[in-house]
Amino acid sequence: MSMKRFFAACLMVAAVAQPAFCANITNKDAEAAVLVIVEGESRMEVAIGPGSTEALCPNGCFVTTPSGDRIGLDGSENVDIVNGSAVVN
Amino acid sequence: MTFRFRAALLLAFSLGFAVPGNAQQQQPVQQPQTQQTQQSQPAAEPAVAPASDQATQQLDQATQDLQRLTDAVNKAREDDSKLAELKVEIDAVGKRIIGVSVSTRPRLDEIKARLTELGDPPAEGAPPEADVVTEERKRLAAERGAINALTGSAENLSIQATKLSNSVTAIRRDLFTNALLKHSEISWDMFRDASAALVTEGQAFRRTVGSWLTFAWSYKRFALLASIFLSLCAALVLVTATRRILDPLTRRRAELEEPGYITRLTAAFWTTMVPTLVATVFAASTYFFLNTFNVLRPDIAPLVSVALGLGVALTFVLRLARAVLAPRNPAWRLVRVSDRGASLLFQAILVMTLVNGLDYFFGKISEVLSSPILLTVAKSFIATVIIGLVLMSMALIRPMVPGPDKSESLGEPWPRAMSVGFVVIGAGLILTALSGYVGLGRFIANQIVTTGAIFVTMYIGILSGKAIAKQNALAGTIVGRHLEQRFKLEQVALDQAGLFLGLTVYALVILFFVPLILLQWGFKVADIESWAFRFFTDIRIGSITISIVGIVAGILFFVAGYFATRAFQRWLDGSVLARSRVDAGVRNSIKTGVGYLGVGLAGLIGISAAGLDLSNLALVAGALSLGIGFGLQNIVSNFVSGLILLVERPFKVGDWVVTGTTEGFVKRISVRATEIETFQRQTIMVPNSMFINAPVGNWTHRNKLGRTDIPVVVGYEAAPRRIMDVLLEIADAHPLVLKNPEPIAVFVAFADATMTFELRIYLADIVNGTGVRNELRLAIFERFQAEGLGKPFNIQGEAGATTAETQAEDDENQDVPAPEALAPAAEEAKARSANRRRPRRIVGTGTSDASDT
Repeated sequence: MSMKRFFAACLMVAAVAQPAFCANITNKDAEAAVLVIVEGESRMEVAIGPGSTEALCPNGCFVTTPSGDRIGLDGSENVDIVNGSAVVN
Repeated sequence: MTFRFRAALLLAFSLGFAVPGNAQQQQPVQQPQTQQTQQSQPAAEPAVAPASDQATQQLDQATQDLQRLTDAVNKAREDDSKLAELKVEIDAVGKRIIGVSVSTRPRLDEIKARLTELGDPPAEGAPPEADVVTEERKRLAAERGAINALTGSAENLSIQATKLSNSVTAIRRDLFTNALLKHSEISWDMFRDASAALVTEGQAFRRTVGSWLTFAWSYKRFALLASIFLSLCAALVLVTATRRILDPLTRRRAELEEPGYITRLTAAFWTTMVPTLVATVFAASTYFFLNTFNVLRPDIAPLVSVALGLGVALTFVLRLARAVLAPRNPAWRLVRVSDRGASLLFQAILVMTLVNGLDYFFGKISEVLSSPILLTVAKSFIATVIIGLVLMSMALIRPMVPGPDKSESLGEPWPRAMSVGFVVIGAGLILTALSGYVGLGRFIANQIVTTGAIFVTMYIGILSGKAIAKQNALAGTIVGRHLEQRFKLEQVALDQAGLFLGLTVYALVILFFVPLILLQWGFKVADIESWAFRFFTDIRIGSITISIVGIVAGILFFVAGYFATRAFQRWLDGSVLARSRVDAGVRNSIKTGVGYLGVGLAGLIGISAAGLDLSNLALVAGALSLGIGFGLQNIVSNFVSGLILLVERPFKVGDWVVTGTTEGFVKRISVRATEIETFQRQTIMVPNSMFINAPVGNWTHRNKLGRTDIPVVVGYEAAPRRIMDVLLEIADAHPLVLKNPEPIAVFVAFADATMTFELRIYLADIVNGTGVRNELRLAIFERFQAEGLGKPFNIQGEAGATTAETQAEDDENQDVPAPEALAPAAEEAKARSANRRRPRRIVGTGTSDASDT
């Protein structure tokens, strides 16, 4: 009984820990990074401040990083911006 | 050499990596050149990375698909269901395009990593670097550019796909609005024109059908008759087969005076489903045979199919209405309405269904014969008005069951909201039609009839689910009795089965009818499929995605892992450990440890299968550690204590332990607490930390050997040595008293009028203590009487199983009244001594109880 409860608690914790299924883009550089995000029909510029993280494009998108590289994201990645270039984990 | 090499490489790259959009046309022309260059320079590496080549091909494919889909959308501008399918396809292409660019990412990462390794080109004035490095940097830069260009075109393509997908949605919305909100002039002229058109249409219809009949009769007589005969045969076979199901029902119908609710529901279900099934089989087989034998002509085929479908739909609705309302059979009615109300409602439903179906049929005729649209409008107008009128007249029916004092047949009127609702909807329909929005009115009328029928069926389904799930309802039915006999189910199991069945019925009803209603409301199968797919694979709430399939899979994995662990535990315990002759405590520890490990593993597997990221869990665990520090402190400490108990094994299951005020046999050692059963059969959960932090006494730790004492009190007239000898003789004579260590008789205390002796004996199994003490006392009493040694009264009662020396000291200090003294005094002394040595006393009485039972 108590064991069941214990594992129920564990599961609940796990449920709370449900990850966000967006692409999380974190800027690890000292200056703000301006990304061009193409999602759906729109093409927009998104600025990410140094050290901050944005959750973007749950449905997949294209990102142009400050280094000029274009990458496709299917919407579940964690991306770091290092030296203006994207590092996908 | 170097120059030529470099030139060749550059050329190769510039050609191989040309931007896909333009490159596709150029490639065939330039390909030979590239090959030539490469042949002339065998040292050059293959210029084009296969990954990006493949990506280019995939993008080409996607471009073509998108083009094809655009054309298809343009062609299918009027076809809603086709558009819905196309949209699903377009979205899939969009996903594929993103997938293509995702697949080029690793290569890009490689290039970037390599470029970083190579470093920046040397600055002005710095010593030049090796040629190879410069070459490689150039090559990598070119490839990087190519991949970026590729992704750029994928980007454009993706935008294009999304635009197309959105435009499909827009087209479909327009289609729907146009169809519904088309306005047509309603006037006498229109009806005059329409009646003229009707005459023409009637002639055309007669001509068409007549010519087809003549043709079929003269040239395809055999095929026509054969197909009708064959489909009749099929229907007949089905009728005889289903007769067996329906027969008992009809017979019971006659027998039963007051059938139960489930019985009525079952009857309603079968009397609706079976004829509908038969009608469906007949219609389908008729159409199939007519079609196979080539009897149908293209102009007749849709008419026949609509007529057959109409027949099936009418059968279903009428059967259903009859089953629910049972106009002539009040006992079998499913809803509580009056007799007259039931028959009137039945008629209203009949009229509405008929009008609705006929309108559809006539509409099809007009479509097939290409009659003017005016005629369709007029027909729909009439149908809508009739349905509106019927709805309004339904408000006048008095269907509610009256109170006991009034006559049964007349009935009470509807509740106010219902009757007003009927009037408003009916009037609204008529007004809509009159104001020219015939399409809208027709749509609503159709929805009312068909959606109503679906809702009623759904409602009955839910009612039956509820009835089955009701407590002990299943046991009363035929199915329940059958289950009971067949599987020997208990009452409780049967009840649970009923609940499960009821829930299953709910689920089925919802799974089946909700899509049906959505279909009825103009949604397409493709839409519903994609919704269902989305619902089960990813539900998005804000930035969180939940996948029901994933969660269910996770739970299944966990359950599977759990049972696998249990099975492994059983096998390990029963087959391996039982034969390895390890100590029971070790066995239990291993078994429990394996259990924890397995369940933990199953949990991890389940969580991973559910798609939860365990790294995020670490984050939460970090945050929780503070909470654990405070709130969960006790639980965690007990859990850890439980693990320590498993390893250290201060006691095992079955041991007789004492901790604090709790004493009894250990029944189970579990994660948080240990279950102890006292001698009074009370179960006490002792938190594991109690066993770790406090002293624990264990009577049966290494062995069950233990000492137990019997105090004997005699007057001063007896000879002490004689008494001690007698006591030892008695102890020696008892079979359960151990010879080694041998029994001891001790002269413990002098009292005012009595001497206290104590017989201390060792037992191989201390659990037998009370029984042995009892027998010894009997023997002592009888022996003392026989030998006239005085009376061995024990004023303190049992001294208990505990053998502490302090007890003897206690006894010495105690002033014990003579046995011959007054009984009340003895009682008092007993009570006092009980108070003074309570813990011991509990032990003593406890032991006696335990061994008594």
